Amino acid sequence: MHLVIEMLRSSVLAATPVLLAGLGGTYTYYANVFNIAMEGMMLIGAFTAVAGSYLAGSWVVGTLAGMVGGVVAALVFAVFAVYLKTDEFVTGTAINMLALGGTTYALRQMFRVKGAFMSPMIRAIPRIRIPLIGALPGIGPVASGHPFLVYVTLALAIVIEWHMFRTRYGLRLRAAGEDPRAVDSVGVSSDRIRAQAILISGALCGLAGVYLSLGYVTLFAENMSNGRGWIALAVIILTRGRPLGLLTMSLVFGFFDGLGLSLQSTRIPPQFTQMVPYIATIVALYLYSREKKRVSAGQAGQAG
Amino acid sequence: MSKNAITALAGIVVALLAGLAILWAQGYPALPSYAALFSYSLFSKFAIVSTLNKATPLILTGLSAAVGFGSNCVNLGQPGQFLIGAMAVAAFGIACDLPTPVMIPLAIMVALAAGALWAGIAAGLRRRFNMDEFITTLMLNFIADYFTLYLISGPMWDRTTYSPMTKMTNPGSWLPMWDGLSTAFVVSCVAFVITWVIWDRSKLGYEWRVMGQNSAFARVGGCRNEANFTRAMLLSGALAGLAGGLMIMGGMQHRFVKGMGANYAWDGVMIAIVAANGMVPTGLYALFFAAIQTGAMGMELETAVPSEFALVLQAIIVLFVVASRESTRLLINRWAAKLRARAAAGGAQDIGKGEGGERRASGH
Repeated sequence: MHLVIEMLRSSVLAATPVLLAGLGGTYTYYANVFNIAMEGMMLIGAFTAVAGSYLAGSWVVGTLAGMVGGVVAALVFAVFAVYLKTDEFVTGTAINMLALGGTTYALRQMFRVKGAFMSPMIRAIPRIRIPLIGALPGIGPVASGHPFLVYVTLALAIVIEWHMFRTRYGLRLRAAGEDPRAVDSVGVSSDRIRAQAILISGALCGLAGVYLSLGYVTLFAENMSNGRGWIALAVIILTRGRPLGLLTMSLVFGFFDGLGLSLQSTRIPPQFTQMVPYIATIVALYLYSREKKRVSAGQAGQAG
Repeated sequence: MSKNAITALAGIVVALLAGLAILWAQGYPALPSYAALFSYSLFSKFAIVSTLNKATPLILTGLSAAVGFGSNCVNLGQPGQFLIGAMAVAAFGIACDLPTPVMIPLAIMVALAAGALWAGIAAGLRRRFNMDEFITTLMLNFIADYFTLYLISGPMWDRTTYSPMTKMTNPGSWLPMWDGLSTAFVVSCVAFVITWVIWDRSKLGYEWRVMGQNSAFARVGGCRNEANFTRAMLLSGALAGLAGGLMIMGGMQHRFVKGMGANYAWDGVMIAIVAANGMVPTGLYALFFAAIQTGAMGMELETAVPSEFALVLQAIIVLFVVASRESTRLLINRWAAKLRARAAAGGAQDIGKGEGGERRASGH
């Protein structure tokens, strides 16, 4: 019983960064921007969050700095991909490299360390204990006592579902992705919407970075995003960008991530347990493609 | 000079200036840093030899990415293919002890095959189940990373050492050094020539390039895209695997060490991107990036700029060169449109003296 509670708890914790980045990616997905740069935006956000929190001694500044870091990376992406018309894949890959190189460089330049930077001066984001629910046995440890960003993320999933499918802005954004010229023809700049989508995704990926470096752990390590931005991209493909679908899928991935962690106490070598989320991604893509094949075969059968 | 070379040069100059500005803003002596960067990478025999040794893996990972991207196979699995290639050669070199003339060709084959195998997994998943290769190759990188880490800290760990690494390979598989230059560079050059011939001078390479430009056109033209996809993926993987294998066969350590190869694979991806998937530009940029990385060490010695600055500089170069290429193309198209509009307006003078045409063109 204790193990089950522990695993559910770690699923929620591990799902959050993937979900946050995925929610950001929802905007670029519907704006039809191939956003492979989420990994880099997350990494930059994680770094600027630690830098802000350490230098100002405040988690509020750290959180804002993390978001600003993500937005600045997104701004570079938007300028190159939208306004200079550089290929999105190329720009995104270059941003990822810039993030990896830039944070490694800045780590040495600012804090004189290689590998990882930790310090008691880094203020972590606060954890929230929910009254009543927190006291319940079983549910309490799973639902309560997490860094506050976990709850913000859950709320964001609902808000973004509404924003994307129930508001005029969401409609325009999706239209800009489907047919940019149609949007341009009614006097709304599709380039502008695409740039905004990239910036929103940057802010949310930055927040995912904040969660990694000030919530999940309290330190910055080289390449600490460790593929979560790419897993988020896979999750977006799997759920076709639906925020509530992302919520479910991220929890599944969080579960596998957490499964890896809990298996570490067994005799399986830790390197294999660390592989679990990546293998799970490949398996999920396999199941998705099989399902898609079955559906399209079914439709062809009906038509014939 | 061709148009491409000029725009590339413009991009490089702007990027180097941006790098200079970053150094200056952080209070480093900017110009002396650059002087150190280039004197330690180009202006002595030792510097050049170091640069060429550094270029050895970069040429191969660059070619790997260029063959992939140029054929429209989004192989982002170079890091994994590199590690698997290196691990296979390490295992082979530890297990077999044969004379050098037999051992070296075999080790090269092992590296090629191992890299191709790892890329082949992604190719197979794409062909059988239509799974996007860019995600599967990325995920396979992490799997390769943890798998090799498991091997070097578990079953293949050399217990006489304190950090995870394999035993040394048998000397038969070592590539000789030649006055400081590892002959791995020669192997790399041979691979470059072979790849260039396949890519630029063979029917197969032509079909891949067509597939990269326009896969529908290739299909209509009678190319078997599915088979070509697999073949390009396999070659791409083989080249990355060879890069990894040469790290074991050449150099000094002759064993698989934790964290080996650092960024060579991702550097290759950037090199291919900045070279627009051309084979000769890939070779040239590989040398250029090798010079930056080699020089960065000297820069750290002379002006205390962390050598990681090379990573920043490389990414900036990629962004600026690609952007200058794309925006010049865009500008030229715009000028051409303007000229056409003017010509059309001039041809129909009675209709409003060309004002309409002019306004429309400049309104863009």
